[in-house]
Amino acid sequence: MSRAALTVYFKELVDALRDRRTLAVVLLSSVAIGPLVLLLVSSLVAGIEKRAEARVIVVQGMAQAPSLRNYLERQTYTITAAPSDFEQQLTSSKLGDPVLLVPSTFEAELASGQAPLLELVGSSANQRSQTGSAAILRLLRGFNQEQALLRLSTRGIAASQLEAVRIEERDLADPASRAAQLGTMVPYFVLMAVLYGALNAALDTTAGERERGSLEPLLMNPASRGALVLGKWGAVCSVAMLIAVLSCLSFLPGQWVLRSEALAATFRFGLGEAGAFILLLMPLASALSAVLMAIAIRCKSFKEAQANATVVMLGVSLLPLVSLFNQEGTAPWHLWVPALAQTTLMGRVLKGEPWPLADVLPSVAVCLLLTVLALGFVARTLRSVALK
Amino acid sequence: MIEFQGLTKTFTQGRGRQQRRVQAVQGVTFTAPNGCITGLLGSNGAGKTTTLRMAAALIEPDAGRVLVDGIEVARQPELALARMGVLSDARGLYPRLTARENIVYFGRLHGMSRTAAEDRVDELARMLEMQGLLDRRTEGFSQGERMKTALARALIHDPPNIVLDEPTNGLDVLATRALRAALRRLRDEQHKCIIFSTHIMQEVERLCDHVVVVSHGRTVAQGTVAELGELSGVSDFEETFVKLAFTDAERPSGLRP
Repeated sequence: MSRAALTVYFKELVDALRDRRTLAVVLLSSVAIGPLVLLLVSSLVAGIEKRAEARVIVVQGMAQAPSLRNYLERQTYTITAAPSDFEQQLTSSKLGDPVLLVPSTFEAELASGQAPLLELVGSSANQRSQTGSAAILRLLRGFNQEQALLRLSTRGIAASQLEAVRIEERDLADPASRAAQLGTMVPYFVLMAVLYGALNAALDTTAGERERGSLEPLLMNPASRGALVLGKWGAVCSVAMLIAVLSCLSFLPGQWVLRSEALAATFRFGLGEAGAFILLLMPLASALSAVLMAIAIRCKSFKEAQANATVVMLGVSLLPLVSLFNQEGTAPWHLWVPALAQTTLMGRVLKGEPWPLADVLPSVAVCLLLTVLALGFVARTLRSVALK
Repeated sequence: MIEFQGLTKTFTQGRGRQQRRVQAVQGVTFTAPNGCITGLLGSNGAGKTTTLRMAAALIEPDAGRVLVDGIEVARQPELALARMGVLSDARGLYPRLTARENIVYFGRLHGMSRTAAEDRVDELARMLEMQGLLDRRTEGFSQGERMKTALARALIHDPPNIVLDEPTNGLDVLATRALRAALRRLRDEQHKCIIFSTHIMQEVERLCDHVVVVSHGRTVAQGTVAELGELSGVSDFEETFVKLAFTDAERPSGLRP
């Protein structure tokens, strides 16, 4: 960097860091919000875990079904009587467990070989009761199977005759990749931190400079336009990376307050991961800063530039969703698209998977190309827009 | 010394069918010598700002050239700009920086060391009577305070040539008088070449040693205030200007002979 570029760099950095109000808003939206969401999700997961561990079943009419009670107690479930207004409580989400309704004729019908009707009452609008329903249904299927096997064995049929195939479930995900499901939001927040960090600085240093009328005097200095643009871009990049680093670091203490023990044990985001994130985000910060500057330099006012920059903001916020909705895993082209490539690679870091240089290079190349093209455009346009 | 030699510039305005060509400057020629305040006098839209922007390397001329101490601006803009201090009509400052920081920033871009720039700021502050402003952020500065800061910024590298585009716009009487006094000191004590563009007759009469009248992008007359009066045959300088700058058909009926 030439001496003039360094002068511009330090001036722009001081200018951006003195914009305390904007910085405070950016810090709040990109640094504080991530750990906060992490905390909320963890408390939700902790609630689900607590209910699963409690092994409680809420039943109305348990007294009429001693055989079912026997089965449930053998499965170490605690039976609780349903409140009289359970329907209302389920609708208003006051009651978190689904309610099992046992008919008064249960035992007689079961003995006579008729199928008594068991009703499991829940509400699809009540998220907590929905989560509990699956476990209760599994439990009841178990009772069904036990009864069927007993009946068959009295008729001399072996239980193995009923099972043509044996089914066993095996989960290949290791703790790290299970944790990455929660962690998918971390790359997203960090990515947005880069964008928000770059946004204001990029707009202020281009459209803001035009609006203030300071671009024309600046161009009447003997510094080359390339040096001016390079210095400005360097400062925007630095602010973007500063916000990204703070955002990454904010997830470190964020983990300590994780309320779910299982999550806390499996959510892997240490200094190593934070460092990898920062490395991966550098090319993106460079490209985003340059592209935002190129968009804003054509705008006469900061407000106009903000409106134009929404296209980039929309792109950066939507691209990571491609990997979220894509059922076929990572496609090779994902690694060529800025923002999407970074999200994919950061996801791998969180899962503990390797991220070889060959997978990193495509997005680095694209980001570098974007940076060079955008900065070239800014340098070329600078003089003509200063006079408009 | 700044020499303007046959400067010509045409702009294209609008697009498609509405496109039209505007001849902003047509062969402007004059020389602004050292130790002299040269006034560039013309009505609004006469081509003063375009002429000065070509001198400041912001616009390239279609034809002709500007020489700053013998250096052609279009060929060696960085070298020419290093020998020139320009105060254009855009005088934007950085509101989050102090006046001192604003001025030193430009000094550093001119290749000065921080210490040299700081020393020069103090010198300029004494000359422009702005010591009290130096360490205040420029946000909320009055027009006069902004002008002083912008002028100090243009003069930070102690240029031998100074170009000022309508510097008294928006200034009150006291600020205007202070500016005039500063320019006289620069001419008399430091022998600077100063070009001063304006459309205010009174300013030209009181300040300029040499006057160049520009009209419709052309240099229509030049000389001292007295010489221009003789040329037009009228004693009042305002009438002199109207007579020199406009044709009979363009003059308001009350001013026709």
